[in-house]
Amino acid sequence: MQRNRPPSPQTINVLRALAADPAQWRYGYDLATEVHLKSGSLYPILVRLADRGLLDTSWEPGLDSRPPRHLYRLSPTGREFVAALTAGRVDRRVPHPHNRWSEA
Amino acid sequence: MGGLFFIPMVGLLGILIALYRRNPQRFLNGPTEDAPLRLMRWAVGLLSPQRAEWGQAMLGELDHIDGRTRRLRFALGCVGAALVLPPWGRAAAGVWAMIALAAGAVGLYGGLAVHYRLGGGDWIAAGILTVFVIGVLLGASALVRRPGVAIPGLLGGLFIALVFLSLSGFTFLDQVLPDIVPWHPPVEVIVVPFLVGAAGTLWSRNPVVGRRIARLAAVTAGLGLFVYATIAVAAIGGGGPFDEDGGGTLRGTISDRLANNMVDLAVTTLVVATIGWGGAAAAGRFLRRTPPPTVSGPISPSPEPQQEA
Repeated sequence: MQRNRPPSPQTINVLRALAADPAQWRYGYDLATEVHLKSGSLYPILVRLADRGLLDTSWEPGLDSRPPRHLYRLSPTGREFVAALTAGRVDRRVPHPHNRWSEA
Repeated sequence: MGGLFFIPMVGLLGILIALYRRNPQRFLNGPTEDAPLRLMRWAVGLLSPQRAEWGQAMLGELDHIDGRTRRLRFALGCVGAALVLPPWGRAAAGVWAMIALAAGAVGLYGGLAVHYRLGGGDWIAAGILTVFVIGVLLGASALVRRPGVAIPGLLGGLFIALVFLSLSGFTFLDQVLPDIVPWHPPVEVIVVPFLVGAAGTLWSRNPVVGRRIARLAAVTAGLGLFVYATIAVAAIGGGGPFDEDGGGTLRGTISDRLANNMVDLAVTTLVVATIGWGGAAAAGRFLRRTPPPTVSGPISPSPEPQQEA
């Protein structure tokens, strides 16, 4: 049974880093460096995102007998999820009285 | 008892000779890969088959990281990830059983140290115990995730522990004040672990799996016996004659009994693992020499396929 917990702040950071340029494939180490996560935290997050269909993965062939490299980017579902997440964050900021009154 | 300390030395020497015979050049020149890559390969092996792709992803990424420190940090992080990444399946039950045993052992030790107001030396010993137990748990958690290891390893450990208790006696008094018969230790730490290791190889028909089963059995037996012996100290306390090694006082007696249990834990785990490893390796050699059954001559008219035992 898959639990539907809200994403952790670290997961949100990874999603945002990927959402900065959704079409671009990213390397794991570059992502880890950008969001200041250790590999031990990053890979479980990437695995969970991929399991939930939020992440597309691909392989870059290795050159000169080097091993292939894994690439990541947001899937269409992942983009929708980040959009919803961002909207949710905005909504949470909405309940300020001035905003409500201005809408009225 | 002194002879028991000699056994792991002989076992380690045997392992070194086996490693040399397997690949003399590598043994003499050392590993050709750097430590982070070897660590990463080990970590990747911990992953379940469903996560094999992610293991390759980590290996591929490491290949593009420069600098020994950065590589090592990346590899260490991946080891942590590999240890916790689901799915765990039945291995989770095994790990939880080991964690319960280990937590019980350390908790009981700490509780006794508080109850009897033991000194700083005992708290240092508790710290060493905790580190040892955490190391053992990490090793066990890696072992139980390998296919075909968890159940036979845990059962093998249970069997070894039962043999220990059958020979030494099941009562708490037998644990605290053991009456050691000369032929018991060789049976407990040599014959039975050897047989468990050999049985692991013969059952799985794979010496690598057999060696893992032997190591997991050693950990299970060591921790289980330690918990039982510590419960015995908690139940009996200073009952019986005070130990001379403990200065003839109640605190000294408790401290000495706990220390004996700790030494037993370390010696039992390491010796049983080493001997079991040897048993598994010996059975593997036997398997290699025994040719697999082949069908020769005219094909049997029986349409039923032969099943492997």
